[in-house]
Amino acid sequence: MIVNIYTLIMLFVSFVSLSLGVYLFYSTLKMIYGFQKYISTETKSKFEQKGYLIFLVACVALSIRMLAWPWFYFMLQSFVSEVPGAMCMFGVTQILPSTVTFLQIIKPIAFFIMGGWFLCYYVDKSIPAAPFAKRILYLLLVVCGVLLTDSITDIVYVFRMKPLMSVSCCATFFDVPLRPSAMIPQAILGSHFEKILFVLYYVTNIILIVLLFMTLSKKWQSLSPFLKKIILYSRAAIGVVNIPVVIFSFFEIFAPKIMKLPYHHCIYCFMGNGAVPDAPIILGLFVMGTFAIGWMGILRLICKHDEAQTVTERLILKVNNFSAFCMLASLIMVTVHLIFS
Amino acid sequence: MTKKFWIGLIIILIVAFMGVMYQKYVKSPRCAFEGSAITPIFEVDMVLKDKSTQKFCSIYCATQWFKKNAKSVDHVLVTDEIRGNKIDSYMAYFVESELITNETNDNRIHVFQQRQDALTHAEKFHGTMTDDPFAVDE
Repeated sequence: MIVNIYTLIMLFVSFVSLSLGVYLFYSTLKMIYGFQKYISTETKSKFEQKGYLIFLVACVALSIRMLAWPWFYFMLQSFVSEVPGAMCMFGVTQILPSTVTFLQIIKPIAFFIMGGWFLCYYVDKSIPAAPFAKRILYLLLVVCGVLLTDSITDIVYVFRMKPLMSVSCCATFFDVPLRPSAMIPQAILGSHFEKILFVLYYVTNIILIVLLFMTLSKKWQSLSPFLKKIILYSRAAIGVVNIPVVIFSFFEIFAPKIMKLPYHHCIYCFMGNGAVPDAPIILGLFVMGTFAIGWMGILRLICKHDEAQTVTERLILKVNNFSAFCMLASLIMVTVHLIFS
Repeated sequence: MTKKFWIGLIIILIVAFMGVMYQKYVKSPRCAFEGSAITPIFEVDMVLKDKSTQKFCSIYCATQWFKKNAKSVDHVLVTDEIRGNKIDSYMAYFVESELITNETNDNRIHVFQQRQDALTHAEKFHGTMTDDPFAVDE
């Protein structure tokens, strides 16, 4: 185990979220089984009090866990100087590769689900009758499962992380001609994929931003429900397509260009070695903007109720605004760098 | 669009410009191939035909970059590991030995100004003399 302030905080966060998560899982399960259609006023009061406690614990545990995602990368960056041969976070990921890969996949998933849960909880809390309590508890069970898995893997990783082996530089993986980030778009878009990918990045992002702004415009209300549905579904579809487009664009075009290292395609160097100090903001804005599109979908799926319609619609509008801002801001930052670098 | 939205966008623009300014004026030079910090004793400078210079952290990175840009290079300056002098690559002696100069890319090629220094290093670290990696076949 490497002992530094980052690992100690990570361990603290993981143990706190693990213990809260276990309690939360047990209490939620108990509460779901205790759900009855007709109960006495006294039992109802007890039930409500218990419910408040569960939701309070959930808010604390999930907030901590969501912050663990960026913290994980701070921790990886702190290991760079400890691991022989490591130049950036890529070198660190060469030790316990399967655990790190798993963590890098589960952390965004956890962040997304937890964010969705928070928004649903906000809607439910805004209505006195709490019409989505049961659905939110079911979702909380799923969230708890992810939270526990993430926390346990974090603890295992921190304890097992020993910089005993020498690792290779990111250039030996990311800068070879047969790198996956070049081969996949090449297979889909052809040998001159860079130009197409560049255009595709701007096209998908601009369409997505226009669709996001469309729902904010005054004309949106006058559109027919069918047209609204088509726009919402196409927005979700473009949001999903945009993810691989942005990922491959950053690997193949933007990271090398913005870092001013035309042959270096390492996203970890772009993110963490200080060559582009605002790179985490660029990527963070994209992630938040994309997740917000998904969160709107979760809200529409779970918070469907006549009583809650106004609250849900108002919150969806806010999330939509947030998503539009994040996507536009990320696009502007990339463009400013490309023009002025 | 709200006032907050526009203020947010202005802040984002300022942050992006600050990032660009940092890259242009504050950041210390890094290896032009993979962006790592440059240790002066192993520095390789590639002087291009347009008189600009590209700096590299090791012979490995410099050769990788050179393979793709040989036509634009005017001459290459390498650093003598003993004295720290910058010399033209065609005047230097190169030794490939078991001693690694840069653990991140496993570079084992060493540069010397004096032939004797190169031979001593080769003997001490089980190395062999190699050709100038920046020589262009006519």
